[in-house]
Amino acid sequence: MYSQYAVELKDVTKRYNEIVAVSNLNLSIGTGEIFGLLGPNGSGKSTTLKMLMGLVQPDTGSVNVLGLNVQKEPVEVKCLVGYVPESPLIYEFLTGIEYLDFIADIYSVPADEKKQRITEYLKALQLEGREGDMINSYSDGMKKKISLISAFIHKPKVLLLDEPLNALDPRSARIVKDFLHSLKMQGVTTIMSTHVLEIAEAICDQIGIMYQGTILALGNMDELRKKASLPNSDLEDIFLKLTGTEDLRAVVEELTR
Amino acid sequence: MNWKNILYLLRVERKSGRLIRGIKATRYRENSFLAYWPYWTAAIIGILGGIIANYGVSIIYKNGAATTGIPPLNVAALSFFAVLPTLVLVFSLIFTLLQQIQLAGLKASSQVMYWLPVTWQEHTLASILANLLGWPVALVVGLTSGLIVFSVFNGLILQGLLTVVILFAAAFMASSITETLRILQVRFTGAVYKSSGRGAIWVRFIGSILFFVIFYLFYFYVTSGFTTFITNLTSVQNAYWYVPFVWLALLLSYTVNGLFLQGIFYLALSIAFIAALYYLAVYLNRRFGLYEPPAIRVQKSGVYSPRAGVLGRFGFSDVEAALIGKDLKSFTRRRELIGVFIPAIIFIIVPLLNSFGVTSGGTAPTGQTTTLFLWIIFVGPPAFMAMLLGEVSIGEEGQSMLGIYASPISAKALVKSKYFLIAFFAAIILLISGTVGVIFYHPTILDAIVAFVATFFLIITVSAISLTIGLKGPDFSVTRRARMIRQEWSLIGLGACSLGGAAVFAPLVPYLLFRLLNIGVSYNIVIATSISAVISTVITIIFYRINIGLADDLLKKAQI
Repeated sequence: MYSQYAVELKDVTKRYNEIVAVSNLNLSIGTGEIFGLLGPNGSGKSTTLKMLMGLVQPDTGSVNVLGLNVQKEPVEVKCLVGYVPESPLIYEFLTGIEYLDFIADIYSVPADEKKQRITEYLKALQLEGREGDMINSYSDGMKKKISLISAFIHKPKVLLLDEPLNALDPRSARIVKDFLHSLKMQGVTTIMSTHVLEIAEAICDQIGIMYQGTILALGNMDELRKKASLPNSDLEDIFLKLTGTEDLRAVVEELTR
Repeated sequence: MNWKNILYLLRVERKSGRLIRGIKATRYRENSFLAYWPYWTAAIIGILGGIIANYGVSIIYKNGAATTGIPPLNVAALSFFAVLPTLVLVFSLIFTLLQQIQLAGLKASSQVMYWLPVTWQEHTLASILANLLGWPVALVVGLTSGLIVFSVFNGLILQGLLTVVILFAAAFMASSITETLRILQVRFTGAVYKSSGRGAIWVRFIGSILFFVIFYLFYFYVTSGFTTFITNLTSVQNAYWYVPFVWLALLLSYTVNGLFLQGIFYLALSIAFIAALYYLAVYLNRRFGLYEPPAIRVQKSGVYSPRAGVLGRFGFSDVEAALIGKDLKSFTRRRELIGVFIPAIIFIIVPLLNSFGVTSGGTAPTGQTTTLFLWIIFVGPPAFMAMLLGEVSIGEEGQSMLGIYASPISAKALVKSKYFLIAFFAAIILLISGTVGVIFYHPTILDAIVAFVATFFLIITVSAISLTIGLKGPDFSVTRRARMIRQEWSLIGLGACSLGGAAVFAPLVPYLLFRLLNIGVSYNIVIATSISAVISTVITIIFYRINIGLADDLLKKAQI
């Protein structure tokens, strides 16, 4: 079934016992967009990304990626998606090159392309020379880079990135940001969760602010400013106002007492 | 089914032992020949075994076996072949379950599998085959190589090849059962679905202990009565023909004896059973495989309320009380630490089973044997608890040791809190095991008091020695499983704790000789126990001071 949206969540709810992680969420993201998912810790961002990936099953509602129902066709969806988890929980007993080789094999990347792509990505993210080391000897930033390469390697149509720039050095972060832009030009849809508001402001076409499992506000920067009644403000002020945490002075005073 | 995916997943699984072996992480190069050494070694041992067996058999049959009542070679060989599938099934089950128990601390490092385009069928098949990697496959490779060699020499090639195929099917069957049990166990004890609050923690704790205890009892039952097990196997297989686990053996038995109709019948049943096991595992993986962490709410209010705690009244500082509290929670909430409780429980259950004749053909021992069991139950569980707990008490911190290094914790506070916890747990086990001993063996009051007092001094000594070992050889690696103590130090610990225990018990030897062997040696039990207490105190003080020095070194040089 054709859909104009790359990603669609309809009336999605997910509970963990009495805790409601995502509540009646409706969200549609167009093809080729870079969508930023913001929100305080525990607001449901990671759960939403996991549901898009089929890693968590929603209690109610439906989740579609590129017109495919994630619950019904999880493998087909995974073939089209690249995923970077918040913590790079990857096989630490493999070397970097062994891990990327394995991922490329699973996604059936042809052998010659595989070698070329891995070499290019390793070079771009400055992992050349360390690919033969076991992943357990890598720093968090290096693990994140391996995780990012493994998400890009099969040229996915949708990227689900949970805090993708965490722990990256400035050069690599810039490369990843520019790379996401160039992928957008090729029609790749990116959905990323982040706490770095400057990044969201700089690269996202649309931003969704999540709070207590629901989307509080959705739109581009201008639309968000309008919604928060904060003309000329940056995303930080908008975010704090919309999540009801703008008056932080009292909190700081309490801490310094 | 994408067979390539299964191959890729298996390749990854094969490499998973690297971190356990603690090999160099940088500039890693794998020697592909050495990587497969268990299988090559098993094959070589199997071939040699086959040649030796053939040689032995030819000598027996040359010397007129027929006159001594031994059945003809092909009959004897084929009845031996027919036992092998059940044997391989049982041992593959034991090995695969043992491997799962070893991986009990495995965290989320294998989540990669879940975001890759791999179907549940592929995932499950790869997992079943991966369970067999290592000892289970080595066992089958060894057996089948020997079998082929023996069959070639004795003109039983077809029968031998059929046996080989069936042995691999038996190993697969065992691994499918393990996979099913693994998922159920992870689901039941790991997540406690739809449960929350403190109850969930206890369900998980008790569930894990039950799983381990049942497995170890099965393991002891099979290995302790191994000869009887083998001897009885043929008759058991025929008598219990309706039990699916013997169908492969019956298929082989009927086919090699020319009863093809029955052979086909059991072939169909075996295929159906293996397929059912596989699809059950696929279903359970699909249903429960994706781990969703439970929301266990321990504190109802969610508001932090500092409490002075009982420990403060016993002279523990806030730091020491905090460390003890943290470790108490660790040992009831962390699945990989639950293993520490297993030897203590096994030490209580196995003598009880033996003394009631459960594992020895129904004859319950009497007299001195009962006294021996009493002492085993009194001494074994708390002593093992003190030894194991002490050895892992530092390494169990894992990568979180960084928090200890970075905190204002003195060497004295670290040793005091760790030592208290070890001795405290061991003392609880002493109370439990002592109560069980008194209830089941009705010792005299003097025997009970001596056993209790002597064991108490033993555990305070062993706790101090084992903590020394824990401080000397901690292993903070947490992937692929928490190891907690380096292997060489674990062995040294066993020796040191045994020596320490022997020193504490030395004054009681005359008493024990009299009570256990009825050897009349003069002794004064009060003096003997007092000397034992003095020895214990001296050793404990010495090791406690050594521990403070070691802890001081440890806190200065971060090892992670």
